[in-house]
Amino acid sequence: MSTSRFAALAVVVTLLSAPTPAQNSTPADLTQLSLEDLLNTQVTSVSKKEQTLSRAGAAVFVITQEDIRRSGATNIPDVLRMVPGLNVAQMSTSTWAISIRGFNDVFADKVLVLIDGRSVYNPITSGVSWDQQDLVLEDIERIEVIRGPGGTVWGANAVNGVINIITKSAKSTKGGTVSAGGGSETNAAGFAQYGGDIDAKGSYRVFGKSFDIDSSPLPGGGSAQDGWKLVHGGFRSDWDLSPRDTMTIQGDLQEGREGQNMTAVIPSALPLELTFTDRFDTSSGNILARWNHTLANGSETSLQIYDDHSSTFSLGSRDRQNTVDLDFQDHMALGSRQDIVWGFGARVADLYLGPGYAISYVPASRTDLLLSTFFQDELKISSALSLTFGSKFERNAYTGFEFEPSAQLVWNPTARQSLWLSAARAIRQPDPVDASIRDEAATFPTGPGSFGLVAVIGNPRQSVERLNDFEAGYRVQATARLSVDAAAFLNYYHDLRTVEELQPYFVTSPGLPYLVLPAVFEDTGKARGYGGELFVNWNPTNRWRISSGYSRIDLKIFKDAANVDSEIGDTGGGTPQQQFQVRSALNLPRHFEWDSSLEYVGRLTAGIPAYTRVDTRLGWRTSEHLDFSVVGQNLLSARHAEFPNDVGLNYTLVARSVFAKITWKF
Amino acid sequence: MKAKISFWIAVWTLLATVAPAQVINEYQVKAAFIYNFAKFVEWPPQAFKNPADPITICVLGQNPFDRLLEEAVSGKTVQGRTFIVRQLSGEPPATGCQILFVSSSEQKRLHAILGGIKTIGVLTVGETETFASEGGVINFTIEAGRVGLQVNVEAAEHAKLRISSKLLSLAQIVKR
Repeated sequence: MSTSRFAALAVVVTLLSAPTPAQNSTPADLTQLSLEDLLNTQVTSVSKKEQTLSRAGAAVFVITQEDIRRSGATNIPDVLRMVPGLNVAQMSTSTWAISIRGFNDVFADKVLVLIDGRSVYNPITSGVSWDQQDLVLEDIERIEVIRGPGGTVWGANAVNGVINIITKSAKSTKGGTVSAGGGSETNAAGFAQYGGDIDAKGSYRVFGKSFDIDSSPLPGGGSAQDGWKLVHGGFRSDWDLSPRDTMTIQGDLQEGREGQNMTAVIPSALPLELTFTDRFDTSSGNILARWNHTLANGSETSLQIYDDHSSTFSLGSRDRQNTVDLDFQDHMALGSRQDIVWGFGARVADLYLGPGYAISYVPASRTDLLLSTFFQDELKISSALSLTFGSKFERNAYTGFEFEPSAQLVWNPTARQSLWLSAARAIRQPDPVDASIRDEAATFPTGPGSFGLVAVIGNPRQSVERLNDFEAGYRVQATARLSVDAAAFLNYYHDLRTVEELQPYFVTSPGLPYLVLPAVFEDTGKARGYGGELFVNWNPTNRWRISSGYSRIDLKIFKDAANVDSEIGDTGGGTPQQQFQVRSALNLPRHFEWDSSLEYVGRLTAGIPAYTRVDTRLGWRTSEHLDFSVVGQNLLSARHAEFPNDVGLNYTLVARSVFAKITWKF
Repeated sequence: MKAKISFWIAVWTLLATVAPAQVINEYQVKAAFIYNFAKFVEWPPQAFKNPADPITICVLGQNPFDRLLEEAVSGKTVQGRTFIVRQLSGEPPATGCQILFVSSSEQKRLHAILGGIKTIGVLTVGETETFASEGGVINFTIEAGRVGLQVNVEAAEHAKLRISSKLLSLAQIVKR
């Protein structure tokens, strides 16, 4: 849109905003207003979030449904960009690298992600396959992001953070919704949902959605042919079994077809490394049941069981995992000063890792059992001071017994301020890649007519990666319009995964002779990280909210002096030192909304320059039933890179895009 | 260049227009609504012991109003009745409450609270997503920066409360 036309639009909007009584002259006594005027009054409502956060001894950030809707995002990674201290980098149409407080790469393995209590942390590769975590964004109630360890309650792999996605109860999504959209990068996206009652005791919703996204450009020009098609269906039902018992049953089925631009060794074509488009098929499904029982004294018990299945086909290999998980939790008050949560769980993961072009696993199939128990006690020392402490105790299939203790001290000098300190230990448990991979990772020339091959070998005796974490934070609701949340951390990592070279050897038959450079995983890496995050939320007026976030991390990785060849698998080069963002959400008259965000991400030492993204959204709610929105993403530049090539996957550029959507509710 | 200047002028005009200085706290509006509910809801005779008894507004859970609720109703009367605001501690033997406000801090035990109270003559008011669908009578929502209302008509009938059609016409009707 040309600027003069923009100016014309702004003038029109100005003219439309005829003042209503409630906005113009606010009587001190609102009770004298009519019901209609009260319904039309713009209010600030930041306080509720602060209320719930004011007692937390951790760096917690909550994304509400309103935040999600107004972000204009169509997928979870784009929603997560608003969290300060969290780094989201898109690598191809369907691939993201997402991490908290460092160690970002495609298989970022130090953040645990849960959807309605179900872990979506991939037990094969560690980390999260974001392309397989599609959600109906409209059905999300909130996303809680904890920066820092969460091992005491959540267990292994909650090292640098926990992302907890919670969907709405079926009780609050009754009725129908149909939406359709499309744009410059999205060829088509559609969604339909219906919810209602079952007898007098239950509610349900069922939905189906699908999208088709275009290929993205390669940095050297041309298309990466990484288009992405996905079909996703699911349901959720919530039941009131008695005044004290509720039950939730929910499930999803999802199928995707992606392209990915790869460079890989093909053993039959040595020494060639080929670059090609690999077809990547995913299918996954899950079913979950949870029963909640509340006692008269307010204490609460829950029992949850789920089955999660996924299957992928890529690089000539079929991988399958099936996880069954059982989880019991009890929450009770002990006297007037103590609040105790304790629980236990069991998880069985059946993994099959089929041989592919260059990667295989020995053994190809395995069954991993995880047993765990935990307790956490919140002790009120005085009305303003509380101490929370506890530990998880786990027994995993790779390293046996592990524990993850933590303690937090929270001081509320006033109702609107809190100061907290915490110390915690967390672990990342090894996976089949660490323990049993055989990967012909790369070839290199050694002279005329001869070449070498790097072969990576898993180490069954790999230890867990450990973190000792120290944090402090301060939150204040300074005025009704302004709140500030700050956190600082100091992290010491031990036993990080390293790659150590073994003695090279020659292979002379069949074919050309070549040098094999074997490399094995070890666990001798150390690192130190420190930094902080700052989040400021400001409501200059009742109709306008500005939030800004800043984060900084200094991550230093120490090589092991005894092993000169050692190299950390995660070099730290994929994490920007600084990130900054400002977001504006403006309610215009006549039910228009205008939202914008500016996000700066610092340079990656792995070779990606700093970039700035600007996104904007214009929404119009014509009635209770009909919504329109237009979203522009990456408006500043035609295309930019967010992450370098990683583990054979070639990065593509993120292009400027426009997306329009219409939603009808009935 | 000229176009650029006109662009910025337009943006600033836009921001100036939509920036009325006064900030209204969400709970100021909710308190005003609660006062208004007394005018638009008719209680069954058994809800009050005496015809001159005040209307008692009880708050269950962490009180988000500070003093706003007291300020909203102090010195006011509805059909000859004055108001009393009471903070409940712990469990709700909601006897003597004509209006019971359940704070969002009680979200987790909502189901037990709504199932546990004697509902006749008690107007339950909440502010959590499932409050009305779980059997609360009136629920506050926040949408696009405005406070909205949900009414569970069945729950109102169950509590023998008569809600005026005026209030019903402005609220979203929630079933069950």
